[in-house]
Amino acid sequence: MDSTATSDHDNGGIGRRQLLSAVGGSAVAAALAGCSTLLSDGETADQGGQSGDEISDEPIQAGLLTFTRGAPGVLGIQAQRGAELAVQRINEAGGVGGQREIELDVVNEGSNPLDSYNQFIEEGKEVTFGPISSGTHSQIAPEIEKNEIINVSTDGTVTTLYEETVPDPTYSFRFQNYDIMEVVTMAREAVERIGADNISTVAGVNPGYSFGEDEMRVFTQAIQKLTDAEIVYEGFPELGASDMSNHITSINNEEPDVTFSSLWGGDVTTFVRQANANDMFENTTVFGTTLYSAAGDVPGDALAGADIYSGSRNYYWGKPALGNWQPGRELFDAATQQEGVTVPTAHYMSGYGAVTAWATAVEKAIDLLGTYPSQEQIAQVLEGHGFFTPAGYHNMAEDHQGASNSFAGQMVYDDDLGAARLDDVNTYAATETAPPPGVTGSDWLDSWSA
Amino acid sequence: MAVTPTAALVQTLNGIQFGFILFMIASGLTVILGILDVLNLAHGELFSLGAYTAIGVFGFIIGVIGPPGGGVVGTAVFVLAVLAAVLVTAAILLPVGTLFEAVFLRQIYDRDQVYQLVLTFALLLILLDVKKFIWGDSSIRTDAVYSAINTIPTSELVGLNYPTYNVFVILVGSVVVVGLFWFFERTKTGRIIRATAIDREMATAIGVSTDRVFTLVFALGAFLAGFAGAMAVPPTSATLEMGTNPLVLSFVVIVIGGLGSLRGAFVGALLVGVIRSWMITLYPPGEIAAPFAIMALILLVKPEGLFGTWGETA
Repeated sequence: MDSTATSDHDNGGIGRRQLLSAVGGSAVAAALAGCSTLLSDGETADQGGQSGDEISDEPIQAGLLTFTRGAPGVLGIQAQRGAELAVQRINEAGGVGGQREIELDVVNEGSNPLDSYNQFIEEGKEVTFGPISSGTHSQIAPEIEKNEIINVSTDGTVTTLYEETVPDPTYSFRFQNYDIMEVVTMAREAVERIGADNISTVAGVNPGYSFGEDEMRVFTQAIQKLTDAEIVYEGFPELGASDMSNHITSINNEEPDVTFSSLWGGDVTTFVRQANANDMFENTTVFGTTLYSAAGDVPGDALAGADIYSGSRNYYWGKPALGNWQPGRELFDAATQQEGVTVPTAHYMSGYGAVTAWATAVEKAIDLLGTYPSQEQIAQVLEGHGFFTPAGYHNMAEDHQGASNSFAGQMVYDDDLGAARLDDVNTYAATETAPPPGVTGSDWLDSWSA
Repeated sequence: MAVTPTAALVQTLNGIQFGFILFMIASGLTVILGILDVLNLAHGELFSLGAYTAIGVFGFIIGVIGPPGGGVVGTAVFVLAVLAAVLVTAAILLPVGTLFEAVFLRQIYDRDQVYQLVLTFALLLILLDVKKFIWGDSSIRTDAVYSAINTIPTSELVGLNYPTYNVFVILVGSVVVVGLFWFFERTKTGRIIRATAIDREMATAIGVSTDRVFTLVFALGAFLAGFAGAMAVPPTSATLEMGTNPLVLSFVVIVIGGLGSLRGAFVGALLVGVIRSWMITLYPPGEIAAPFAIMALILLVKPEGLFGTWGETA
């Protein structure tokens, strides 16, 4: 791990005004971009956006729906901690609009997420974040539109959300790269690492619900455009399955060139441990979209000899190298101080970025209007909104879908870190992984020339 | 897809191994149902409690004896230590079962069965919160047992690629099956329990203390659930929700085998394990539906289950 820190307060000669302008015009935007230490004279605390006279100092009540326990909690807690750090930075920078601090209420996504979401609305939350699960997102997205209260989802990345479930959203936004982006990233990664000519058979082990089915469907479409591969096995273990040996035996039976997996959280650990015990990595190379979500959970001996490449959605903490990127260094240090975070994963950025997208949009709206904006006005600003986080620059596209660079690399265990890391990381631009606005994922993949 | 003979054998072994875990859970459930006439909805949580407890016990015992030493003796000591940890875990569940029966269930035997369902559901929720209080929200696991036992060569000796821990589960599960049938068929206590199951009034008339039998049976059920939890957890993690699926599948197993029949639970568990395994091999989307399809078929053809109810034979 490259952990050489740059010197603090080294602003490379950029002036304070220039810096504020570059990241969005306010101390809140600078703090969320991870650039607050670049501001001179310690002036961050009272430099929110241009607050209008009519902005009250009443705290903003916000809700976050995420998994806080069990196997899904492995990544749900990451999203929670990311959102909490973003809120902390906003509040330390004086609050939204320089006056309104955020109070974040975190609720377990659990078994009745729609009830939990409706509870948020009944309690008068001004904004909601989350969920993690695609199934939950499909449930609550129509409710979001009905309630007319903005939600910026952390994940819930099912491709069909803005194509079929809510085809013309107003109040529903999604920060994280969605399924087609991370799946196309891994299809390209498989071709990059193995070579199209060497991929003739593909298997899949994916979670047995809408997310896993969506990812396998998209991967099949993408990899068959990039190669002449035949799909030889598709397994869908249920979420939290304790025994994956049947799926592993089927893969050993087929010996596919590539095994695609979108397992996540604790399921990754179970899968990798049992796969290693069954010598599965002697028979295939695994490419997964969210395997790295278990970075702090998967044990070193299970990764020994494992041939695994994982995506890391729109954030990987080691890219750019921490020594070359002060905002990344500060985020990494702050995150690893938090309970339950061994290393911040992409789901950490899901929480951090969702809050950042909303808060910077509100700041921008305040700058434009001179007063605190309505839900509709915030929604209008969020469309096409660009903003910075320590992961880089993000764009919330007109179709309400966030678009950012994607990362992928070989998943290995790092004894010094006490967690997995990605080696030899490749970066894929959003233009390589996402369809143009207005084009469905399926149509876009169909349009690829062989 | 074409399944090679080796893959077919391994898939069958996978099914048998899963079946033995299921049997260890379902045997406790069916014994309690057969004798106490109580459908214990908290049984899955007892299984889960066993898994959580085992992680601590494994850690303690491995901390004392250290990692597996080299050679046959060192390996044997480690395996015996793991077995001891499983037994200690199950023994810890004994007083839990005793407490549940003596303090809660005994008060409502003469009430309608719906009260028992509500009570055991309440115990399920209480156990869930107890686990959360003690171990927190996050999943926990033990790495040492699974990886260490897998380093022992077993199936490789006959040219098969199959994890030694799964072999260990099958062997231990076989011993549990033999032990349970021996207990109920050959020991005096076992015969008294069976007699109580056949005719509660007659057993009381000849001097059997049904209170004591009931407490013993419930404690035995908890012991078996704890044992199963300890055997099941090394390849995976202990999570708060882990008791739900085994409880549902155990219901399926005892309905297939016959409510209260130990023999039926054994056959039902292996049937569910192997058919589920083959369903994943041949038609993966049928994984979840397969056990329920078998149950529906059995209910149509033989509504009392394959082996009827508990009584003349175990």
